[in-house]
Amino acid sequence: MSNINGKVYAMNAITPMKPWKSWVLRVIFFALGEFPALQQDLINLSFIEFARWVSVPRRKFPYLAHGQAKEDLRYDYLLFFSNFNGTWNQYIDAFSAVLASGLNLIWRWSEKFPGSMPVTLFKEYIARVQFDTDYYYTAYPHATANDLKSAHVVQASFESLSAQAGNYTPEEFAEAFLGFVLQVQAHLGETGEAPVVF
Amino acid sequence: MPNQNGSVYGLTILSPILDDEKASPSHDLQIRLYLSTLPTGANSPFAKSPGTHLCRLVVMDDVVYVGAPSIEEHLQSKYLVFECNLDATGEEGLEAYLRGLAEHMPDHLDAIWSHCVGYPGAADVQAFIRYMKACQVETTFFFAAVNNKSVTESLRALQTQRAVADFIASSQGMEASRLQAKFVEFAAKLKAEPLPKPGSMGPKRDIKLGGRNE
Repeated sequence: MSNINGKVYAMNAITPMKPWKSWVLRVIFFALGEFPALQQDLINLSFIEFARWVSVPRRKFPYLAHGQAKEDLRYDYLLFFSNFNGTWNQYIDAFSAVLASGLNLIWRWSEKFPGSMPVTLFKEYIARVQFDTDYYYTAYPHATANDLKSAHVVQASFESLSAQAGNYTPEEFAEAFLGFVLQVQAHLGETGEAPVVF
Repeated sequence: MPNQNGSVYGLTILSPILDDEKASPSHDLQIRLYLSTLPTGANSPFAKSPGTHLCRLVVMDDVVYVGAPSIEEHLQSKYLVFECNLDATGEEGLEAYLRGLAEHMPDHLDAIWSHCVGYPGAADVQAFIRYMKACQVETTFFFAAVNNKSVTESLRALQTQRAVADFIASSQGMEASRLQAKFVEFAAKLKAEPLPKPGSMGPKRDIKLGGRNE
């Protein structure tokens, strides 16, 4: 079991939904996808690198014949996979505090979902529907989502300055360099080994 | 297309695991045993296969019963879940990525997926791609914090960020013409540096002591 790799935590969860409710959820996700402004709270939770919801209809589990028994289910299932920085508790607390209405909108269609507030019952539910990761890989285990965003800001500024650096007089360069430092100074946080988390 | 967010593709695969009472240990346990030995850092097979940002492999034993009054039910098969965030655009991009997996890590793929129903092996690349796509389920909603940069671009940017921080620290108060010459030299050197290996923790840095909690 390896839910953690470097600074990222892999979370998996599965919840049952009555089939008619999963269609309501599809409409909600469609709206979220079509109107990116609705994703702002998710973007504000800047410790999420990637996350996805996968709604699997009860008759759409992959069936390959070769003697495989067909699934005979009453519920559709909502799978949730998240790649986030920090601890499980921090993640669920922040999810509940920042995204309470959004989470309710997504999971209220799942059976026995208690609501994302108060957080104690929400945590109990997530712990019940979560299952552990057997293998987890990340191309940049030393970096968080914020490190990545910052690194791309630095890269863009650096490329812009280095393309012009040879053409400036020393005085012009000193001024341009100062402007560069001002642009990137808030984006130079250190990457490296992850802290020990519990 | 919900599988796509910018230039990143969210691949979700559910491969049914063989159910054979005579297998000992059981196929799902054999997958778990193998995955527990697979390196997760720079020596990971996924680090050698280009375009993987983050991925996971999970044996899903069953669905979850959340309590009365919901109905208790069970899956007929266990599933191997492959959740992958990769550089690809559209179905052609996905097929190119799967081809890359088959070419760069065929032995690992066979060791893991040979415990799954109908797996054809990675040697027949077209059959492998068909199999993976047959096991694919469409992502309903896919979020990516950075959705317009490749793995290579992200590794390069992280390398630049680290080097720039060091350069700024070491060049404070430097006279203008010397600063310019040093920067041009630094930029040329940085561009020529090899890319950090995917999956690695980057160069070892000294731990800074003296923080508030020490």
